Amino acid sequence: MRTVLKVKDITKIYSKGQKPSLDRVSFEVDEGEFIGIMGASGSGKTTLLNVLSTIDKATNGEVYINDVNLKSLNDTHSADFRRDNLGFIFQEYFLLDSLTIQENIAVPLTLQKLPPKKIESKIKSLAKRFGIDSQLGKYPNELSGGQRQRASAARAIVKNPSILFADEPTGALDSNSATELLHALSEANSELNTTILMVTHDPYAASFANRILIFKDGHIIQELHKTNKNRKIFYEQIVEEVSKLDTNR
Amino acid sequence: MNTFFMAIRNLQKNFSFYSLYLISVAFVITVFFAFTSFSVNTVMLEKISADGRVETMCTVISVFLMIFVLFYMTYSNRFFLRRRTKELGIYALMGYRKAAILSLFTFENILVCFGASLVGIICGAFAHKGIVFLISELLNLGIDNSQIQLFNLNAIIKSAGFVFVVIFILVISNSRFLYKTSLMNLVRYEKKAEKKMKFHKISAILGFAMMLVGYLLALNILTGSQSLWITIGFYQMGLLTMFIVVVGTVLFIASFLPFIIQMSKRKKAKFYTSTKIVTTPNFIYRIRSNAKTLIMLTLLSAGVLTISAVMAISLYYPIATVARIAPSEIEFRLENNIRMEDIENIISDYGFNNNDVSLLTTDIYKVKASADSLPIEYSLGASNDKKSNKVIREAGFECISFSQYKTLLEAQGKTKVLQELAPLNDDEVILMKYQPSDNTKEIGNQYTLNLNGLEKCVIVKEVSLNNAISFANSIGTLIVSDNLYLDIASTEQPFSTIVSLNGNSIKNNEDLYIALSNYLNDSPYLLGNSHRIKEIIFLSSSTFLLIGFLVVLFFIAVGSILYFNNISSVMESKSDYEILEKLGYTQKNLRKIIRKQILTFFSIPFLLGLIDCIFATMVYKTGLMQDLLENSLSQYIPVVIAIVITSIIYGIYYFVTVRACYKIALK
Repeated sequence: MRTVLKVKDITKIYSKGQKPSLDRVSFEVDEGEFIGIMGASGSGKTTLLNVLSTIDKATNGEVYINDVNLKSLNDTHSADFRRDNLGFIFQEYFLLDSLTIQENIAVPLTLQKLPPKKIESKIKSLAKRFGIDSQLGKYPNELSGGQRQRASAARAIVKNPSILFADEPTGALDSNSATELLHALSEANSELNTTILMVTHDPYAASFANRILIFKDGHIIQELHKTNKNRKIFYEQIVEEVSKLDTNR
Repeated sequence: MNTFFMAIRNLQKNFSFYSLYLISVAFVITVFFAFTSFSVNTVMLEKISADGRVETMCTVISVFLMIFVLFYMTYSNRFFLRRRTKELGIYALMGYRKAAILSLFTFENILVCFGASLVGIICGAFAHKGIVFLISELLNLGIDNSQIQLFNLNAIIKSAGFVFVVIFILVISNSRFLYKTSLMNLVRYEKKAEKKMKFHKISAILGFAMMLVGYLLALNILTGSQSLWITIGFYQMGLLTMFIVVVGTVLFIASFLPFIIQMSKRKKAKFYTSTKIVTTPNFIYRIRSNAKTLIMLTLLSAGVLTISAVMAISLYYPIATVARIAPSEIEFRLENNIRMEDIENIISDYGFNNNDVSLLTTDIYKVKASADSLPIEYSLGASNDKKSNKVIREAGFECISFSQYKTLLEAQGKTKVLQELAPLNDDEVILMKYQPSDNTKEIGNQYTLNLNGLEKCVIVKEVSLNNAISFANSIGTLIVSDNLYLDIASTEQPFSTIVSLNGNSIKNNEDLYIALSNYLNDSPYLLGNSHRIKEIIFLSSSTFLLIGFLVVLFFIAVGSILYFNNISSVMESKSDYEILEKLGYTQKNLRKIIRKQILTFFSIPFLLGLIDCIFATMVYKTGLMQDLLENSLSQYIPVVIAIVITSIIYGIYYFVTVRACYKIALK
């Protein structure tokens, strides 16, 4: 299987003399994988996501996405790179309040300069998958949190990104909405073969992933694989590992 | 921590945020103080106002100024309060009583107003000195600038008193806001979702239609004597048109604009572009809460532009007409008791080079005539009032010869007119018109001149506005061929002799004019070209100066409201730009979006204001100004200049705003 993301020895130090937020981290992600990144606050999860998604730059080490070295990108190129390769979902949804849901989902496609007809048909089919097809004409503040997050997921997936980065996507959702969203993501992962990298500290959300990297103090200290386990057993394994982490604190 | 200390800390922390408020308030106070200093400057007022006219105007304008300053200060104060509601909510949550929060704001306001007053009074004092110096140079008033106090105590007391009143009103306005808003709303104020916009087709169409009707009514004034402006009345029509345009503008901005923008979304190929998909919905979203501000800005812009344009045209036009009212540098009627030698002596007394000065005498013969239709000039000014028995002017044509006319034009330096002048046959005449109208219709008319029983038939070869003798000395002038002129002279018609003085060395010489005026016993038939221009500038300068204060203030208000408004909307949508950046928008894309959004908000008030201004100026010029010049585009040059200056000022504001917004929204 093709490797989409290659992380080699990345270190991130925000200010001199401080402990690094990421300390020589290395891992690889193949196409179609659903990766969960876990760890306590301050363990380096968000720093990792920022570095991988070209929003921030690593102090040392290299990141390759689709064999492109992120270091080689200047501001304009990294914007183009995000436009063409990356999708984002955030805890706070980050929808544009002044645009309808349909317009929000259309934004990344207009950047790719797709023709209007294609934009609309893509939005329609994806909106159905995420169960928001009846909400397309509404504004974000007319929707529930769950619907907003699904809209934001649709916006991220609509352009078929090489990797979808999700930063605590269920953080602000009630359990029903969270389950709906995770099912939709997991479906997209299996049916559309979307590669997903999700940061979460919720073991339930993490159990939807195939592989989990657990971070502590800027290092990966544990890697869990779902392999053939069903989700419930994987969930229990995750809870056990996380609680071990807490008792060893 | 006491309230006063907190207020100071707050100002320090938010300095960049407040600095603009401080600067704009300081600016407003500068204008106010300069104006107040001017209005209490007795040395100056004595020179430029003989009849107390300027003092009355000062009072009227100072009322306007005060209302305006008050409006501006409450507007910007309310604006900054809104931006800080979250902070207010935090104070309230921490247990501050509303009275304590109010006193915090009052302290802040006092500090800002005090700082701004200090800056404003210092700048205003110098601005006042500068203005006095400029006027005294321009009008040759010979004011000793050192006589005028830099800081006039009276003006300081007046300004300070006014600032206190403003602070008092701000406190009342703030307390109303605080006590009316619940804690919940304070905490959530900024996040309050805006209501969904409803698109009313009817009011949208009505808005557009009313503006159109308003402009058509304005255009109606051009139809001449049948125009509604004459049949119904100028002021009635003026009020009606203004009412329709104002209501139309309100509906146009609040309904029509969002309506067509919403419609424009249907053009998908245009809408689904990376810029439009953000800017179009954003505009609709913003206009919901900003329609009122935009309407106010549009009306303010229309006001500023119209006042500037009308000011420019009302100064320029009378000066331009002087070329017709007093075509020669100096001209007077030679009456019985005047001797030419004395005149020549006066001229040489003032040391002028006689080679340069041309002194021409023209005998104008009055001739009675008959015709199917005599031109209006024939009997213009002739009183038929039998009761008064005092005849101002006998009806008749006033004839001068072609070669005299030519010599006069040469002396006046009107080379262009001379080039187009074709010689006359003995039965041809040129008719000098008083006002421009459809001039071609009188060409070819026949008049029968009655020369003591002898009848001479002449045909109008051309009509002209290039009179070489002033209207005070000749109306209904006919330029006749030299032969005909000799015939007329030989029949001993009544005549008057006009002396015309021209030449570069006597231009702009007020002393010579006064000397001649004394010699001629203030004759009403004495006219001076430069003298008249000086008089016009002198008479109108104070009016323009005072209105200038208002215009400057308008500009400050419009510019800073636009600035505040755009800055705050960019601040509110800062997170939007972060999202867009994550979605792959480059800095260049984002800058384009910001620019477009600001440009829309700048251009609506400017363009609508500009259209209003063009129509208003047209109505003003057609309805209220005497029409003596040929209608040519060059008359509108001052209007164009006024508009260009306004555009430049708007442009500067635009660039400053764009830069500030880039700074806020982009890293």
